[in-house]
Order: sequence, then C-alpha cells, then structure tokens
Amino acid sequence: MDIRFEQAEARFEGRTVVHPLTLSLSERRIGVIGLNGSGKTTFARMINGLVLPATGQVTVNGFDTVKDGDKVRGQAGFIFQNPQNQIILPILKEDIALGLKSKKLSKAETQAAVEAVLARFGIAHLADRRVHELSGGELQLAALASVLVTRPDILIMDEPTNQLDLRNRDLVERTIHGLDENVVVISHDLGLITDFDRVLCFHEGRLADDGAPAEVIARYRELAA
Amino acid sequence: MKTLYVEGDTFLHRLSPRAKLLGLAALSLVLFLIHSPAVLSVAALLGGIVYSSLRLGWRQSWLRLRPILLTIAIVAIFTLILNGREDALIVVTRLTALALFAATVTATTSTGDFIDEITRLAMPLERLGLVRAADIGLAIGLVIRFVPEILSRYQAIRDAHRARGLKVRPLTVAVPLIILTLKNADEIAAAIDARGIRAQK
Ligand SMILES: Nc1ncnc2c1ncn2[C@@H]1O[C@H](COP(=O)(O)OP(=O)(O)OP(=O)(O)O)[C@@H](O)[C@H]1O
Ligand SMILES: [Mg+2]
Repeated sequence: MDIRFEQAEARFEGRTVVHPLTLSLSERRIGVIGLNGSGKTTFARMINGLVLPATGQVTVNGFDTVKDGDKVRGQAGFIFQNPQNQIILPILKEDIALGLKSKKLSKAETQAAVEAVLARFGIAHLADRRVHELSGGELQLAALASVLVTRPDILIMDEPTNQLDLRNRDLVERTIHGLDENVVVISHDLGLITDFDRVLCFHEGRLADDGAPAEVIARYRELAA
Repeated sequence: MKTLYVEGDTFLHRLSPRAKLLGLAALSLVLFLIHSPAVLSVAALLGGIVYSSLRLGWRQSWLRLRPILLTIAIVAIFTLILNGREDALIVVTRLTALALFAATVTATTSTGDFIDEITRLAMPLERLGLVRAADIGLAIGLVIRFVPEILSRYQAIRDAHRARGLKVRPLTVAVPLIILTLKNADEIAAAIDARGIRAQK
C-alpha cells in the first residue's frame, strides 16, 4: 500500500476543512482518531477520490485521485459511516454480485465469488435475505463482503463499530483484526486501534499527531479533556 | 413494496426472464382485446392454476395478492355503479387474470435477473446514444431497494410527531422526509462511485 498526500487540501463551499497536508502511508493498519468535525471522514474520502483536493495532490498506489478516480477506487474500498446506504440492491447476494459486474465474469464465477465472500464473513445464511431487514451488525458484515468481493488492496472504514451492540462490536472488531487487506480505520472506539501499526489524530482540520497508538491515544485523551 | 421473488426451481423459474416479460406483455394485450366474460373467466381460472402451481399456500398467496385484489374490487364497484353488471364482470375477470399471471412472473424472476433483462432490452436506446442501459437497470434496482427504507423513515417521522404530541401535518412530515431522502441519495450516489459500480469501461 502506498498512499501519498502532497500539500492536499479539502474545501467545502470555500471553507477549508482539511488544511494542506503532506503525508505518506504504507503501514498495514492505520487508525484515524479526532474529535467530531475534525476532518476524519473528509480525509478518508480524499484517499479514494470521493472528495477531490482543491489544491495539491493525492495518489494511491501511484494513481492520482483526480485523473484516475476509477482506478483509485479499484485499489481502495470504502465502508461508509452508515452501511445502510451502501447496499444497493434489495437481495444481499444480488448486491454483492453487482460489484463484480465490471469484471465481466461468467455467471458461475460470479456466483462462486459471492458465495466465497459471504462464507468468509460467516454470513452465507443471509445470501437470500432482504437487505432492508438486516440488523446493524449483519449490515456491517454485508457491507464488508460487498466491498471486499472486488479484492481491493486497501480497505477504508469510517467508524465501523459505531451503533453496534456489544456482541456485534466484538464480532466486527475480530473480523477487522482478521483481515489480510491493508486497512485505514476511523474510530471513536479507541480499543479497536490500540494494536494498529500507526495512528493519526486530526484536530480542527489539521494532522495534529501521528505515531504509535499508545502515545497518540494518550495525547488525544489530554486534548479531549 | 418488498421483493416478491420466491426461491424455487419450477419450470417457470427456469424460463428466461425475457420470455416471461414478453409473454406477459402479449397476454395483457390479448386480455384487453377480449370482451367475452366467459373467455376472460377461463383466463382468470388458468391464471389461478398457474399461480397455485407455485405452491405458496393460502396465507402467503393472500398476503401477496391482497393489495391488488382490493384495488380490483374498488375498480369493479365503480364500474358496477357507473356501467352495470356486464362491464363489472369483464373488469373483474380481466384484471384478476392479469394480476395472477403478473404475480407469477414476479414470483419466479429474481430482481437481479429482472434488472439484467431490462438492461438488455434498453441496449437499443444505448446504441442511439440516449442512455446507458446499465443505468436503467440500476435505477430499477435502487427503487426496489429503497422504497421500503423511505416508508420506514416516513413512519419514524410520524412517530416522532406523535411522541412529542405534534399534529401530523403533510407539510411538517414531507419537509424532513425530503431532506433526509436527499441526504441519503447523496450518500448512495457516493457509494455507487466508491464501489465502482458505474466505473467507465
Ligand atoms: N459535504 C459537506 N459540505 C459542507 N461541509 C462539510 C461536508 N462534509 C463535511 N463538512 C464539514 O467539514 C468538517 C469536517 O467534517 P468531517 O465529516 O470530515 O468530520 P469528522 O472528523 O468525520 O467528524 P465525526 O467524528 O463527527 O464523523 C465539518 O465542519 C463538517 O461540517
Ligand atoms: Mg466522520
């Protein structure tokens, strides 16, 4: 994984939300923390080109988010803060197959890939269920399956354990820890990222801290107090 | 609205979605050209036989068909009052036949297959440069997926009014509903991009 920000800045309606940022990420597990409104989601969206830099440049594995948006999104999958809006077709297995459309696989290959990814997250029994009826934890796993079926190199997750009960939170946490992909995880649940390789802390649209989890989290606690 | 598809492996499940959709279109044309109550009754009876071959059971069948049968009953009552018994009988038998055959098609065609077929049928339009065929299929999938979501949001807003003792007025319900729906639409659009579903080939 190779994510680079070169003086990249994000603005909404003229207001700077992420100040020019230069940064290079290559560790396998990266946590992102910070207060509400500090710019975490915007930063994450800049990585896969859902938010484009107003000035500067962002590249992912060598692809520029402005020039090669589709390629960047092929490299970096994204799980939204609200997985509900991420599942697009009414039946889970059909939704997961939809992500594979652009790969032009045969029907049998598509079906095999869908079954494999559902089994990987222990939700094979949900294949034929209506998405509308799934619980929060089931939806989160379904969103993971729908994104990882296309085999991105990097997975970005925006507060994946938000709104989950204790049991589902444990389940999703264990699932995240078991992932082989590179991950960038935004979380207010500090326990989730304590054993990550690197943690970034945002404050008022700037990268305020960057380093090993223990120290960054300790300083974040002081900042928040 | 929910998906009405029923998992199964009957002859009708295996029939291609195109054959079913085109067959249904042809049948409805024929039904509207026929004006004999006797023939239409036979058609309705055939529809009933085909539908019951899906073996859904009485309860399931009733739940699925109830909305459309109620609609037919209302139309029939008005026809009876305005046009008399003969016309009412024609309306009931014709619409019942149509409803039963259409319900059979929806119960034996998965949303995915349905979308693929619509996409294929829209290909000529794509060649004319009018639309991207895949977008039409995607749009239909999105409607089926998010209508229940919007309905449950409507219920939540209505409950919020009740809980706070506010009167449920169309305007005070519609405004938050529209805002929430548009906000969601933005996110759904972002998700479609993020998952590369509309990626340029
Ligand atoms: N689409 C948008 N249009 C305008 N302003 C936006 C938009 N998205 C975010 N912002 C603003 O940018 C700032 C940073 O928002 P962002 O969502 O990145 O914060 P966050 O760190 O993810 O917060 P939270 O922890 O609450 O999710 C906020 O002030 C927010 O109001
Ligand atoms: Mg956020």
